Amino acid sequence: MKKIIVLLLVSIMILSACSSATNNDNNAGETAETSKITIWAWDPNFNIKALNLAKDAYTADNADVTIDIIENAQNDIVQKLNTGLSSGTTKGLPNIVLIEDYRAQSFLQAYPDAFYPLTDTFKAADFAEYKIGPTSVDGQNFGLPFDSGVTGLYVRTDYLEQAGYSIEDMQNITWDQYIEIGKAVKEKTGKDWISLDPNDLGILRMMAQSAGSWYLKEDGKTADLSGNAALKEAFETYKKLMDANVVKIHADWSQFVANYNSGDVASVPTGNWFTPSITAAADQSGKWAIAPLPKLTNNPASVNASNLGGSSWYVLNVPGKEKAAEFLGATLGSNVELYQKLVMEIGAIGTYKPAAEGEAYNAANPFFGGQKIVSDFASWTAEIPNVNYGMHTYAVEDILIVEMQNYLNGKSIDQVMTDAQKQADSQIK
Amino acid sequence: MRRLLDRFKYNGLFVKMFIIMVVSIIAVSVTTTWTTINMSERVFMETFSITNSKVIEQIKSSLDSFHYSIVIASNNISQSGSIRGFLTEGDGESLSMSNAYYNMSQQIKRIKSSLETYEVGITVTGVNGRTFATDRPYWPVSDNELRQHPITLGTLKEPRRLIYQYDDAKRSGTPGNEPTIIASKALMDRTTDFVYGMMYFSIREQEFKRFYESYTSLGNDVVVLDKRGTIVSANREEWIGEPSADLLRYAKEIDEQSLDYKNVGIMGKDQIVLSEYLASFDLYVVNLIDKETAIGQLIDTKMIVLIVMAIVSAAVIIVFLISRRLTKSLTRLVKQISTISKYEFDHYVTVGGSYETRQLGQAFNEMLDELQEYVKELVQTQQQQRNAELEALQQQINPHFLYNTLASVKFMVQQGSKEKAAETINALISLLQNAIGNVSETITLSQELVNMRNYVFINHVRYGERIKVNYFIAPDCMGYHVPKLIIQPFIENAFFHAFNRKAEGHIYIMAAQEADALICEVVDDGDGMETSSGSLLPGPKSKRQLFTGIGVRNVHDRLKLLYGEAYGVTITSEVGEGTRVKIRIPLLKG
Repeated sequence: MKKIIVLLLVSIMILSACSSATNNDNNAGETAETSKITIWAWDPNFNIKALNLAKDAYTADNADVTIDIIENAQNDIVQKLNTGLSSGTTKGLPNIVLIEDYRAQSFLQAYPDAFYPLTDTFKAADFAEYKIGPTSVDGQNFGLPFDSGVTGLYVRTDYLEQAGYSIEDMQNITWDQYIEIGKAVKEKTGKDWISLDPNDLGILRMMAQSAGSWYLKEDGKTADLSGNAALKEAFETYKKLMDANVVKIHADWSQFVANYNSGDVASVPTGNWFTPSITAAADQSGKWAIAPLPKLTNNPASVNASNLGGSSWYVLNVPGKEKAAEFLGATLGSNVELYQKLVMEIGAIGTYKPAAEGEAYNAANPFFGGQKIVSDFASWTAEIPNVNYGMHTYAVEDILIVEMQNYLNGKSIDQVMTDAQKQADSQIK
Repeated sequence: MRRLLDRFKYNGLFVKMFIIMVVSIIAVSVTTTWTTINMSERVFMETFSITNSKVIEQIKSSLDSFHYSIVIASNNISQSGSIRGFLTEGDGESLSMSNAYYNMSQQIKRIKSSLETYEVGITVTGVNGRTFATDRPYWPVSDNELRQHPITLGTLKEPRRLIYQYDDAKRSGTPGNEPTIIASKALMDRTTDFVYGMMYFSIREQEFKRFYESYTSLGNDVVVLDKRGTIVSANREEWIGEPSADLLRYAKEIDEQSLDYKNVGIMGKDQIVLSEYLASFDLYVVNLIDKETAIGQLIDTKMIVLIVMAIVSAAVIIVFLISRRLTKSLTRLVKQISTISKYEFDHYVTVGGSYETRQLGQAFNEMLDELQEYVKELVQTQQQQRNAELEALQQQINPHFLYNTLASVKFMVQQGSKEKAAETINALISLLQNAIGNVSETITLSQELVNMRNYVFINHVRYGERIKVNYFIAPDCMGYHVPKLIIQPFIENAFFHAFNRKAEGHIYIMAAQEADALICEVVDDGDGMETSSGSLLPGPKSKRQLFTGIGVRNVHDRLKLLYGEAYGVTITSEVGEGTRVKIRIPLLKG
C-alpha cells in the first residue's frame, strides 16, 4: 500500500513539473534583439532596392546580423520620427532611417542627442561636398550621404528636331534660352515644354542653388528672401514660363509622370532620380537625352548644375547603434562594388567619389541614345554649389507657394519678396 | 497473483470502502468542476455579449463620426463653385491653369482639414478629364483606370448616395493597391441632374480597422461586411476581401430579429456572433467571439486539472490512511480467526484496535474459553464412556474361548502331559489377570510382550503351530508404557482371519521408536484383503476370540481420544501378500 502512496505523490510532482516547464523560453528574444538592425525608408523602386543590395553585401560576411527593412511613406517616417523623438521614447524607432537632406537639419538640431555621430564611420572627404553640409552639425557627421540629387534637363530630342533644334542647342543654356526653345517646340508640335505643380517649387530651389543661394541664409535659420537676387530672378523666370504658355500643370506625382510617359510634355528639369520614371515608358526609348540644367540668365554666380532632393542615412541613438553604424560604414560608406551595382541595377547615383571611376559609371545608356548619363551626372555633381538647407526649407516654401500665386496674379516682385520675408521672419525663429 | 487474491480476501472491507470513497471523491470533484466551468462559461458568455454590444455601439459611434466628417467634406466639395469650375472648364493658358490648380489645391486642403484626424485621401475627377488627388498612395489607381473602375460604375448607378465600396489589387487590377475602402459620390448639378464629376474618399483598410482594432483580441474578431457579403475590413488580415455569405446571413438575421447575439458554427469554429447594421455606411459590423479561444483564455484547463488532481489525490491519501486504520484491526482479527484450525481452541486472538474490534476480540476469546471448557468436558465424558464400554467388554470374556482352552487342558491332563497342562493353565491365568484388571491402566511394553506370548502360546496349544509368531522389539522401547489390550486384538485378528486360505504362515510383531512416537506393527503374510486406503478392519465376532467386542475401530478411536489426531491405527493390505497394521502412540513413561 505504501507503494501506491509513493506512486501518487510522484505522479503529482511530475504533473506540477509539467506545468512549470511551459514558460521557460522567455529570455530568448532579448539576445537576438541586439543583432537585428531595423531600417526605415521610402520608395520601393529606389531606396528599398538599394538597401536590399547593401543588405545582401553585408550579410554575406556577417551572417549573424538580421537586417529588417521596413518601407514607409516619407511623410509617415517624418511624422513617426517627430512623434517618437519629441516624446523622448526611442521605443519602436528603427536603428537606421532615411531623411531627405532638406529636412535633415530640422531633425538634427531639434533632437540633438537622438542621432549617433558617424564621423568615425566613414570618410567625409570621400563624398560629394554639397552633401556634407546638410548632414552634419558643428563639424560632426550624423548622416551618411546617399543618393545624389544632381539635376539635369531631360529633353525629347524628337520634338526638338521638329522645332528645328538639336540636343547640342541645349548644352549650357540659360533659362531664357530654354523658354525660347520651348516656345518654338510648342508652336511646332503643340506639346507643352514643361510640367509644373503650383504647390511644389522644386524648380525654384534648383535655380536658387545653381547660384549658390537658398531660402535661408548661411546660418540656416534666417530667411533670405527679400534682396535675394537669385531667388528674385527665379520668380521672374517662373512667371516667364507661365506667360510663355508652355507649362502643363499637374497636381501630384502620378500626373507628373503621366504627362511625360504620355508624350504630352517635352522636357523636364529635375533630379537624376527621375530617370526610372522616364525609362518606364519603353516606347520612348531613344527619344530622350539629358542636357545640363539651364542657369539663371542674369546671375553670374549661377552654374549649369544644381541639386534637387536627395537623402542620407542616419543612425538613431538607440541600442544597437554601433552595429547599425558598422553596417552603414561597411556598405554604403566604403563599398565601391556596391555602388557599381546600385548604378547598374537601379540607376541610383551615389555621392561616393571613389565609386565614380568604375565601369558602370561610364556605361552608355541606349534609352538616352547612347548617352553616358551616369558619367554626365557625375561630372555635373562636382559643380553643384554648396548651400546650407537649414532647418526651415519647407516652412519657407509654404509661404513662397502662396506668394508665387500672388505674383502670378499681378503683385509686384519686390512687394512679393518683402511680404514673404515678413511672414517668414514671423513664422520661423 | 494468489497472494494478491488472498490480500484482497482479507482486505475486502477496506478495498470496497476505499474504492467507494475514491469513486465518490472523483465523481464529486469532477461534477463540481464541470458545473462550475459550465456556469462560469454561461456567465462569461452573457457578460461578454453585453460588453461586446457596448463595444459595437462604440465602434458604431466612432464610425458615425467618421462618416459625418466624410459627409461634411463631400458636401463642401459638391457645393464649391470653384471646384465645379475646375472640373468643367476647358484647358486654358498655362497661367490660368496654374491658377486653377492652385486654387483647387487650396480648396481641397481646406476641405480636407475636416478629415485631418483620419488618413483619408480625396480624389476628385471631372467631366473635362481633370483629376485632383491628395495622398494618391492611399489608393494608387491611375486617372485612366479610375474612369472605368468598378467603383466609379457602382457610384454612377446611385449618383445621389454616398456609398462605401471595397477595393484591392485583385479588384482594381492595380498592383500595389492595398485593401482600401472608398466612399464615393457623384457630383451633380442639382437642377439639371448633370453629373459633372465624381469624388472619392479613400481610406486604407489598415487605417479603417483602427476604429475597432483596439477592441479585438485573440478569439474576439471584428469584421465589417458589405451588403454583398464581402469582408471589407477585419482585424484578421486573411479574411479581408473574402466573400462570406454565411456571415452576411447571420448578420441579417440578427438585424431583422433584433437579437442580442447568436451562437453559430462559422469559419470552422463555434462562435458567438454580434452584429450591427450601419445604415449610413450600408455595412454590417460583425463581432465574432470564438468560444473556444475566449473561454480557453478564461479557463486554464491544465491548471484546473492539476488542482482537481491534487485535491483528489490528497483526499484519496487521507481516505486511504483513515480507512486503513479503521479496518486494519478488523482485518487482523478476521485473519487470526480464520487461521484457527478445527481443534486449536487454545489460540486466542490479540485484542486491540478500535472499541468495536476490541469488544469483538474479547467476546471471541471468551467464547473460545467456554468452548474449551465444553470440549474438555465432552472429552472426559467420552473417555469415561469408552472406559466403561471397555470394562463392560472385559467382563464378557468369550466363554467359548475359556471353554475351548479348558477342554484342551483337560485332554492334556488325560494324556498325562501334566507339564504342558500346567503351562497352559498358567498362561491363561496370566492372561485373564491382565484382561480383568483396570482397563485405563497402562503397562510396559515388556509386560504386554508377556501377555502376547501367553496368548500366542494358548493359541498354539489349541490349534497347533502352523502359524508362527516372531517378535522384533527394539530393546530401548521395552520401558515405554502402552495402553492395555491395544496390540492383542490385531494378533487375534491375524490368527483367525489372515490364514483362511493359506495353510500356514507367519505373524511378525515389531515395536520401535520413531521420532517422538512409539510404533507397533503387526504384520502377517496371510491372505490379505481388499482395502480402500486407510480403512479399518471390521471386527467380526467369532466364538474363537478372546474378546468378542473389542474391534479394531474401537482401538483407533480410543487412541485418538487419548492422545490426539496425530495418533491411531493405519492398516495396509494386499490380496495374497498379507496385512500390515501400524499402531502409533506417544512415548509414555509410567
